[in-house]
Amino acid sequence: MSQTRIPHLKVAGVSTCVPARVFDNLERGKDFGDTEVRKVVAMAGVRRRHVVEPGVTATDLCFEAAVRLLERLGWARESVTAVILVTQSPDYFLPSSVCMAHKWLGLHSDCAAFDVGLGCSSYPYGLYLAGTMLQAGGQQRMLLLNGETPSLFTDPDDHATTLLFGDAGSATAIEVDEQAAPAFFNLHTDGSGYDGLIVRGGAYRDRTPSNPRLNFLQMDGAAVFNFTIKRVPALIRATLEFAGLSVEDIDTYLFHQSNQFMMKHLIKKAELPMERVPFVLDRFGNCGGPSVPLALTQGGAATPTAARRIMALGYGVGLSWGSAVFNLAADAPLLHSDYSGTVPRS
Amino acid sequence: MDASKQINEREALEMLAETFAEPPENIRPEVERSTIVGWDSMGALMLMAELDERFSIELNAETSKKMQRIGDVLEFLRQKGALKS
Repeated sequence: MSQTRIPHLKVAGVSTCVPARVFDNLERGKDFGDTEVRKVVAMAGVRRRHVVEPGVTATDLCFEAAVRLLERLGWARESVTAVILVTQSPDYFLPSSVCMAHKWLGLHSDCAAFDVGLGCSSYPYGLYLAGTMLQAGGQQRMLLLNGETPSLFTDPDDHATTLLFGDAGSATAIEVDEQAAPAFFNLHTDGSGYDGLIVRGGAYRDRTPSNPRLNFLQMDGAAVFNFTIKRVPALIRATLEFAGLSVEDIDTYLFHQSNQFMMKHLIKKAELPMERVPFVLDRFGNCGGPSVPLALTQGGAATPTAARRIMALGYGVGLSWGSAVFNLAADAPLLHSDYSGTVPRS
Repeated sequence: MDASKQINEREALEMLAETFAEPPENIRPEVERSTIVGWDSMGALMLMAELDERFSIELNAETSKKMQRIGDVLEFLRQKGALKS
């Protein structure tokens, strides 16, 4: 049972950044047919998607999100002792993309930095890693960067995926605070479904596939949907039980914004109050893992009036799924911006 | 299967007509999947969700893909005890 309680975890703030370029899905009727596009939009719930300009990466989006967050928190760059970038949209095979973010942010050399390759489940996994590092000692302040650019690996001719996914980056500030409430994590994997969502080409198993379409995402929608309805409601129940909480004790359920139909079914099956689940799919699409922090910054009041207990839920590619329960202070900044490309870099 | 959840064949056909957004007269056991517009990839997900919600029956992707006629769905429901004999 991969369940972990971390005695103190303070999420000091969350910042998200999306590309300024917006695509309206209803304008794709000329490519896929009006009826088909309307059907996808109605089911998936994605009306608009933010898509990176050529040459812009997930690391760029995370960088701007992090700059704004560090400035708002007033954290000196040298006070950050570790930074983790969770993404499946790296800039290069090597070096780790986080090393560029480390440079651009002007972080100190006394700072641990590494990439983690996870997709839809990345936010709770990233919080878990950051939380356990803080708990182990030696770290004071950490940045969790979580970004994805699915638009760069979806097949433009596949309406099921190209109309679903958008791009986003995020930064979450986490620090040691002995007064902070405990956090609870529940993490899972089912590798037998590794090919339910897969980009087969481009890496070392098939560097230059004969079929160029293998360089794009292939999604077995039925298999993934079946996985989610089997696993996610059980994950919610197990997490509540592990944390000793009831459904009502959680103020906000941050779902990975997979698709509207799927989310509504999961919410109903798990018997969650719909009003406690933010939806941002209509404006941003499915951005992979960073859709979770995006639902936090864009799915409710920008300045909440009270502290909240949050359950973050990630599930998808891997197959991998996980949850995190943590508290968020009322004054924790929740920031959001469009990518400018003009923020100065060290 | 809880007997109160069981449905008869007429009710099952009505459920499938609603799930696939098809006129009820088009949904008969012998009708082929390829002729039902609403039984596309999304329709397959709708069916999974409907069976999960109504009967707590898991229809996995492999079984779903093998279903080629309305009658295959009825047979699946029968095997799972959701269809009154």
